[in-house]
Amino acid sequence: MKKKIIGLILLLVIMMVTGGIYLLKGSAPETVVVNGYVGGEKIEFLEDPEVQSILQERYGIRADYAKAGSLDMMTADMDGMDYLFPSSSIAEEYYEDLHGKPQQSEIILNTPIVLYTHRAVLEAFDSQGLITENSGAYQIDMAGLVSLIQNDTSWADIGLAELYGNISVDTTDPARSNSGNMFAALLANVLNGGQTLTEDNLREILPELQSIFGKLGYMETSSSDLFSQFLRMGIGAKPVIAGYESQLIEYAAIYPDEYKNIEDDIVMLYPTPTVWSTHVLLALDENGQKLLDALLDEDLQALAWTKHGFRTGNYSTVSTGGDIAAKGVAADITQVTQVPSYDVMKIIIESLQ
Amino acid sequence: MRKQLTALLLTACTVLAASGCSLLPGGSAPGTPGSSGPGTADSHSGYSSGDGKTIRILSGSENQELETIIADCADKAGVHIEMDYKGSVDIMRELQDGADGYDAVWPASSMWISLGDTGHLTKHSQSVSLSPVVFGIRQSLARELGFIGTDVSVKDILSAITDGKMTFCMTSATQSNSGASAYIGFLYALLGKQEGLTTDDLQDPALQQEIRALLAGVERSSGSSDWLKDLFLTGNYDAMVNYECLIIDANEQLVSEGKEPLYVVYPYDGLSIADSPLCYVDHGDADTEDAFLRFQEELMSPESQTAIEATGRRITANGVSAENKDVFNPDWGIDTERILSPIQMPASDVLADALNIYQTNFKKPSLNIYCLDFSGSMSGTGEEQLKEAMAQILIQKNAEKNLLQANEGEVNIAVLFNDRVIQVLKAEDDSDRALETLYNEIAAQAPGGGTDIYTAAAEAYGLAMEYDLSQYSPAVILMTDGQSVYNKNIFQEALDSSDVDIPVFSITFGDADPSQLEELAEQTDARVFDGTKDLTEAFRSVKGYN
Repeated sequence: MKKKIIGLILLLVIMMVTGGIYLLKGSAPETVVVNGYVGGEKIEFLEDPEVQSILQERYGIRADYAKAGSLDMMTADMDGMDYLFPSSSIAEEYYEDLHGKPQQSEIILNTPIVLYTHRAVLEAFDSQGLITENSGAYQIDMAGLVSLIQNDTSWADIGLAELYGNISVDTTDPARSNSGNMFAALLANVLNGGQTLTEDNLREILPELQSIFGKLGYMETSSSDLFSQFLRMGIGAKPVIAGYESQLIEYAAIYPDEYKNIEDDIVMLYPTPTVWSTHVLLALDENGQKLLDALLDEDLQALAWTKHGFRTGNYSTVSTGGDIAAKGVAADITQVTQVPSYDVMKIIIESLQ
Repeated sequence: MRKQLTALLLTACTVLAASGCSLLPGGSAPGTPGSSGPGTADSHSGYSSGDGKTIRILSGSENQELETIIADCADKAGVHIEMDYKGSVDIMRELQDGADGYDAVWPASSMWISLGDTGHLTKHSQSVSLSPVVFGIRQSLARELGFIGTDVSVKDILSAITDGKMTFCMTSATQSNSGASAYIGFLYALLGKQEGLTTDDLQDPALQQEIRALLAGVERSSGSSDWLKDLFLTGNYDAMVNYECLIIDANEQLVSEGKEPLYVVYPYDGLSIADSPLCYVDHGDADTEDAFLRFQEELMSPESQTAIEATGRRITANGVSAENKDVFNPDWGIDTERILSPIQMPASDVLADALNIYQTNFKKPSLNIYCLDFSGSMSGTGEEQLKEAMAQILIQKNAEKNLLQANEGEVNIAVLFNDRVIQVLKAEDDSDRALETLYNEIAAQAPGGGTDIYTAAAEAYGLAMEYDLSQYSPAVILMTDGQSVYNKNIFQEALDSSDVDIPVFSITFGDADPSQLEELAEQTDARVFDGTKDLTEAFRSVKGYN
């Protein structure tokens, strides 16, 4: 009996103390920790202290994450996860195919697929007539590049004898990561004469696509890892990679000193045509919805462009001077093809495994 | 699709893990602390430094050379660093199992993180340094072979090997990143392909014949790049495949001893680069993550990076700083101007197949001579555990679980001893049945009498001489539980009368005297493993060395 009373008193004291703390904290919203899977290329954005403080102060959200490829995350363990933040609408359709409709979903960010390379490679491509320049932004003729790859043209053949092997573009694994997946979609469209590949021509195009990917060997699973390896390991290791436009803009904004060291060597090539990578947030529960709403905040969307390179609703056409540090960014993305439908992409991905 | 992917990854990972069971210093075979180099027990059962939040790092052994820099960074970041060393393939497997005991991994190449991180635990991966995997060849031999001052291909090196002009040491492809990278380079070169290695390629009979001939030139193997370097320094070998930074390290020692340095050859059609990524493993503790980031930042600071470069590691892809230019001695063939253009690693499923077939088919067959202590003191638990360990190795359905099955043409002999040789048992061939019979014969033996490891080891040497040892990776695997009579001369005579290099690996058990075993290991360029905690695990570890 005595023990029970002591227990009760203790409980009361604890309740009073907690209540007191509550009152002292005043009107600041209670912080909700929101958990989810995020494609590697958006991690800097979510970890940005400015982004975090807006999320915290205005919305009472702390966004935690685990890194996962856009497609990988759809089949990952979702226990305790409030949201998924993949990098394409294909990934969203994949989710719906497996799990049904999410609680809510919304496109938060956009960025086109680009190629990254080094100055020497740009010049070699230029000598093949593949490059056009438009106010400092370079475009590469994808059909021409694909035919070099298909013909097993070596780097030496286009004047780069110091590079071993044949011309190729390193990409992430299309079955596991979005940038690779989007690049496969782009190649499929290019092989289809620049038109979005449909089920009609699928049979014809698949073997060609398989042959190109068959030459690639081991592929990284994360776009951010591939990009940092590209920057780190030099022209010999990864002469050309496929990535997102946002990656270089972000790198230049966040690491201005490092960018200065590489800005003369590293170039961004806009494929013509290209495809959009649309970064969709899938809210799996109420907390996920809170994050979704918060990420549409105007200031966050502005930060997403200037510091992290994502084109958002208000930034699809941009002024390339002043507000961003990266060079060679195109004012707008014009020659875009639609990514093939989910059903077509599914067959493509399966055939590339 | 998901199922296929999972299955594929599982296969890749299991096979990759092959016999990759903590062979490296700091694994589960810890030995006498405080000693170093081959011939002794584990040179390193881990390392720790600094005060503050603890960060446990599972690292490739090549980072042992960075310990002073690590200590410095730990101090500056106010963290406590605990390093454990394993091969990159082991690290991949550990990661795949959730890496519960670790807050970070630091393998030789990013590839092993991508392959291992099936549970999406990693973040903040950053490459700490770069080092290409190269051939280091005795300078005079390199000159003789015409490899100096010219572009050399893997094919050129292969002809030198198949013509019998050169032998070499390389780490096991199924355990270590440098061995795996070199092996893949060999396959491409032999196939005359530059990209897109396929599973069908591996079945090509011409390739199979050539790769076997090439791997027959492997004089010694090991589970770790750093240990290979140590082994190389104590033995008398022609060449080794290793990281540029470890060749530089070896050369510094060779030169200081007045010996001939190695000449670095960068085979243009078989080069790979280790990017040494340090990567956080998230178990949900924000303080640890914070501490990790502080430590990583210190390691990436210009000051630390310069210190890292001074150890022969590259910190950018574009040459080396003026400050450390002298470290990369051009007289040793070190070329910091050339663009390092590596070969392409095959797709993960092909890589898994390639490593599997290396283990069971391509590498030189093992010649295992087990010297097993059946002295009186083994009665009871000791005897039981020994027989259990042998059951795990010899009975193939057990061995398969640990991917330790016998390879083609493998020879297995057991010398049962006490103070004399009790009996010599030989498996008829490499078949499952023959190995099971061998096990049954061992299991029938009862212990009794004293201990003399020297007589047993001498007997093993005598038995090995009956084989053409150039066709095998021979090893004497000596298991003992006590103090031996000091019949050193008997073994010395056997050693003197043979002109081949057969390592005597020892596994300690019970009250075994490590100093006697270490002496044996030192004489034969081998090592001592601790079997007191897990005898089966210790046997598995030794098996990885041949």
